[in-house]
Amino acid sequence: MTALQRAIRHPEPVWGFADRSPVDGLDRRSLGFLDVLAQSVSAVAPSAAATTIPLLIASAGGAPVWALASGMLIALLVASTVNQFTKRIAATGSLYTFVSRGLGRTASFVTGVALLVGYGFISMFALAGAGYYLQILLGDRWPALSTPLAAGVLIVAMAVLCVLVLARGIRVSTRVTLLVESVSVLIILVLVGTLLYQNGSTVDWSVLSLAGSTPATFAVGAALALTAYVGFESASTLGVEARRPFATIPRAIFRTVIMAGLLYLVASFSQVVGFAGLGRGISSSTSPVNDLAAAYGIGGLGHLLDVSIAASFLACAIASITALVRVLFSMGREGLLPSAFGRTHARYRTPFVAVVVAVPVLTAALIVTIAISGGVWRAMEILIVGAAGGYLTAYMLACLAAPVFLQRIGELTVWPLMRAGAAAVLLSVVLVVYLVSESTTDRYPGVWVFLAVMLLGITLYLVRHLRRPWLRHMVGIYDVPVGADVLGAVDAFDTAPSRQADVPPRLGRPAAES
Amino acid sequence: MSAAGSAAGLHARQPKAIHSALTVLEEVARCGAGITARQISDNLGLPRATAYRLLNVLVQDEYLVRTPDLSGFALGRKVVELANLVTPPTARPPEAVRAILDRLRGGIRGGIHLVRYEHDGLRVIDPDPDFPPSDRAVILARLDASAMGRLLVNERSRGAASAVLGQIHASGYASQVDEITAGYGCIAIPIRDRAGQLVAGLCLCAPRERIEHPDDLVAVLRRGAEELAPLLA
Repeated sequence: MTALQRAIRHPEPVWGFADRSPVDGLDRRSLGFLDVLAQSVSAVAPSAAATTIPLLIASAGGAPVWALASGMLIALLVASTVNQFTKRIAATGSLYTFVSRGLGRTASFVTGVALLVGYGFISMFALAGAGYYLQILLGDRWPALSTPLAAGVLIVAMAVLCVLVLARGIRVSTRVTLLVESVSVLIILVLVGTLLYQNGSTVDWSVLSLAGSTPATFAVGAALALTAYVGFESASTLGVEARRPFATIPRAIFRTVIMAGLLYLVASFSQVVGFAGLGRGISSSTSPVNDLAAAYGIGGLGHLLDVSIAASFLACAIASITALVRVLFSMGREGLLPSAFGRTHARYRTPFVAVVVAVPVLTAALIVTIAISGGVWRAMEILIVGAAGGYLTAYMLACLAAPVFLQRIGELTVWPLMRAGAAAVLLSVVLVVYLVSESTTDRYPGVWVFLAVMLLGITLYLVRHLRRPWLRHMVGIYDVPVGADVLGAVDAFDTAPSRQADVPPRLGRPAAES
Repeated sequence: MSAAGSAAGLHARQPKAIHSALTVLEEVARCGAGITARQISDNLGLPRATAYRLLNVLVQDEYLVRTPDLSGFALGRKVVELANLVTPPTARPPEAVRAILDRLRGGIRGGIHLVRYEHDGLRVIDPDPDFPPSDRAVILARLDASAMGRLLVNERSRGAASAVLGQIHASGYASQVDEITAGYGCIAIPIRDRAGQLVAGLCLCAPRERIEHPDDLVAVLRRGAEELAPLLA
């Protein structure tokens, strides 16, 4: 009889596995691969980015296709590094939890604030975007709707919709967002196909030349391009809810970057070629895709595209808030935020309290931003800068934490170390270049808002930490296998299921102290 | 991914990898829970990167689980399902049991199967000859999809709540619709011994409408299950 046969016939008792996971209460192990993929794809909102980012890059003096290609390279490095965590930890706190396992609680908190800024600002950006495009569409038909007040009402209406979808259950929200995003991408591909077909025999490959760009404009272009990919890691907030998290989440993250990248390359190439065919530059247009559609005689598709972009923004808002509330949920369970944030809805099994608190706060902040900045589009420009700053900071810290984490659990090898190192260096260059270059444009308030919010968040953390020093034992909870998953597990915690058993019981050899 | 999907992805190079994976499982079983990745790679003489990759694949498929401190490994419940899949089928149930099943099959339209739960896995010991059950591999790949699997999942979960398990607690039986075959569903009635241990399950597979509105079917099946209990426990 082999050891395996013996283990199956007469399982050795295994202690140390609790009856319940510390993140108990969510709909554990309920989402398939498509749902997880939908979360990442919608958070990236590839169709909205594919129609807007090439213009942004071209206006900053960069070469869109090359910038998006280098952005994809950096995003792939980051994705493979983040996946070192997602293959091993199933959490709802995403990078916030991951960094705590590598660099400890202070770095983890900075990551948490950065991630909340990223998800929060992008949610506001997407809500505003959905309102903006919806207003354009409805304004064509009913001109009375073109007032700022109407925009505010539309945004509030969509925020209410978000609350309903998010509270109703994770499966509803991922299915809705996947459908919406697939339709938008399809419309873009039809547009791209038409453009390339009409330009077929006369494609001027010299549009890809890098002549005229300097290292500085290239770096700015790459930084802007990277903002088109951010959000791909958000599937990692579904660590508890995914059915086979260690298989589906890494795959979803990687494929999101690949698919978004290919779409961006094709879309930016066709936009550059399309404008070259018209004899003008892409940056001469304010709405390149609509202009192209009109110039190539498919203006009707342009309107359809507006609908799909509005829908894509809404999907992005839902996905980003999904990720945001799961990070808040983690912090609530750990005691960093009031414990109400860690409460779940008994029937729908969603972090209900976090949704009900977060969405009104985000909506109010968005409306104040619009009122101060004097326009929806202007507010969006400011918000996207803050969001990008948050994401890039969180990614950079995660890349620094990955090798330390792997070393701690004794699984560090050469290639992951090299990739994490390269990603960390490139990200810090991109972050600095991005913030410096944005601070010289008219989007400079975004940079200051980002820095101010980060500073505020870290100050609040320090204050709370001084008042409650015991919190340091409570950072970085994740889903642990419960007794039901382990062969021969003994109910060690049957009598006292400690919901916040943060310092996990040790097994085998003592683990590295975090 | 479905069982068919992963089978299609099998390459000629992989038998070696499968051999290594089984060796890794064997090593975890030999050394016990808590063994680290480095210890496994040292004990088996596998290159570090290879060992870590294999371990991560086994964790992905839940044959292994990481211990709560993330550095150690333990065998997952899924190895039992793997083992039950390859062990030879047991003998047919006793005549008294088959008589009861034949009577039930005569009275109800649909497939009636008897399932036994042992060694922490499930095994169909008397499939309905006229309506054979779905592929065993499909049922075992996703226990929470089939009604008979859900009974087992419920038994293991010891009260942890979820939507599916809530239904079992409320109605006293497990059911599923459309999860395995579109348009069809299944009801599984638990059969317990006197200590309350789940020993077997009586399953009815029928078109969706009959599963969603079982009316008096459940009562008939329950009576059958009560008769079967002393013969199986």
